[in-house]
Amino acid sequence: MDSLPDRFDPWPPGVQPVVPTPGYPGTFTHSPAEAPIRRPAGRGQFTGPLDLDRKLPCDEMNLATPNPGRPAIGQLIHIAGRILDEDGRPVRGAVVELWQANAAGRYFHPNDTTRDAPLDPNFIGNGRVRTDAEGGFGFFTVKPGAYPVPTKEVWWRPPHVHFSVIGPASLSRLVTQMFFPGEPLNPFDHIFMAVPEAAARQRLLATALPPAEVGAGWLGFRHDIVLRGRAATPPC
Amino acid sequence: MLKPNAPLLPTPSQTIGPFFPQTFFQAGDNDLTRVSAAAAPSTRGERILLRGVVRREGGIPCVNAILEAWQADAAGRFRHPKDPECALADPDFLGWGRAWTDAAGGYEFHTLLPGGFTDAAGPRAPHIELAVMASGLMRTLFTTVFFPDFPGPNEADPVLAAVPAARRPLLLAQPDGEAAGCRAFRFDLQLRGGAETPFFVE
Ligand SMILES: [Fe+2]
Repeated sequence: MDSLPDRFDPWPPGVQPVVPTPGYPGTFTHSPAEAPIRRPAGRGQFTGPLDLDRKLPCDEMNLATPNPGRPAIGQLIHIAGRILDEDGRPVRGAVVELWQANAAGRYFHPNDTTRDAPLDPNFIGNGRVRTDAEGGFGFFTVKPGAYPVPTKEVWWRPPHVHFSVIGPASLSRLVTQMFFPGEPLNPFDHIFMAVPEAAARQRLLATALPPAEVGAGWLGFRHDIVLRGRAATPPC
Repeated sequence: MLKPNAPLLPTPSQTIGPFFPQTFFQAGDNDLTRVSAAAAPSTRGERILLRGVVRREGGIPCVNAILEAWQADAAGRFRHPKDPECALADPDFLGWGRAWTDAAGGYEFHTLLPGGFTDAAGPRAPHIELAVMASGLMRTLFTTVFFPDFPGPNEADPVLAAVPAARRPLLLAQPDGEAAGCRAFRFDLQLRGGAETPFFVE
C-alpha cells in the first residue's frame, strides 16, 4: 500500500477561499477569528477510514431516474471524473458524495423553505459512490438550476453541484463544489469568487464533453478532483 | 493524459452549505465502535460518550453542522497501513463517525476511550481528531479532543504544546456524568469569538 499519501504540504497560496468571505454574511459569524495553529501532520492525519463502504452505502449513482421509467425533470447530464492526489495518482476506494438542487433550483431538504420553487417527485438529488481502481466515479443527474440566497444583497448561486470526498487520510478530507463552464452567474458568485487565483477557480469548473463523444442520451461533463497529499518518497 | 507523479494543485475547499442531505445520515453513523450498522460494537476498551454543543459568534448554537471523528483504538492503533502496528489494530473498531448538530447545536459520538501512541512528532496523548463542516464555513476546520484522565501524557503531547498555554484547556473534554452505563465527556466548540476553540492547520 505504498500508494497512500504520507506527506502533506501546506495549501499552495491562492487556492483556499478567503475567509471571512466578502459578500457571504455567514462566514463573518462562523469563521474562526484566531489564526489556525500550525502543527506537524502526524499519524492521525496520514490515516483515515479505508473501508467506509461498510458503514456508508456507496451504491447510489443514478439521481436522474430514481424511479424506473420516471426521469427527473431537467437536462439529463452525466458527470464523470477521477479523484487524484497531488502526485496525480488515482485515489481508489474514496467515498464520493454528491448533492444538488433540482432543475428549478430547489433542494430536497427541509431547510430549503425560502421560496416556493417546485420540488420534483422524481428527483431527490443526492448520491454516494466509491471510486474504482483508477480513481474514477460517475453520476447520472440533471443540471441543477440557479437559486437566490436569502441575504440582504441580492445574490444568486449559479448552477453548482456539491461534492464531499473522504479519501485515504483524514487530512485529505475535502468538501467542494463543481461549477459549469460559461455560466453568466459564475463571476457574481461570492462562493466561487472566494478562491483568489483564477487558475484555482478554473479547477472548480467542469469540462463539457463534445456531444459526439457522449451520445444522444444526455450531456456529458468531466470533472477531476485533487485531494491534498503526496508520497514522501515517490516510487521510482 | 496524466503521468504518474505529475504534480497537481489541490482542488479548493468550498462550504458544505445548509443542504447536506439528511438522507445521507443513518442511525449509528456517530458510533465509532461499529464497522457497519449491522456489526457488533467493539468491546476492546472503555466505552464512552462524547457530546457537546457547536456555537458560532455570540454563543448562538450552530444548527446542521457536520462533525466527523477519527481516532486510534483503545490500544493506540489505527487500522490503516500508515500505522506500523496496523496488523494488531482492533478489527471491530471503525474509529470513524459522523454526527450532525440538532436544533440546539448538540452532537454526540459513541466511541471507546482512545489509546496513546508515539509517532514522528513525539509521544501523543490519547485524543480524538474532529473535522467540522457547516454553512458559513468555507474551509473544513480541524481540532483535537484531549481527555482529563491523562495529565502526564497531555503535558508531554507535542501538538497540545503547540497551543498557547492559556488556550490548552479549551481542548480538554470535561467529565459530564454517565450515559447508558458509560462515562460521558463534554466538548463544546466555539467556532468564532469568546473562548474560541483552537483549530489546526498542517
Ligand atoms: Fe448549493
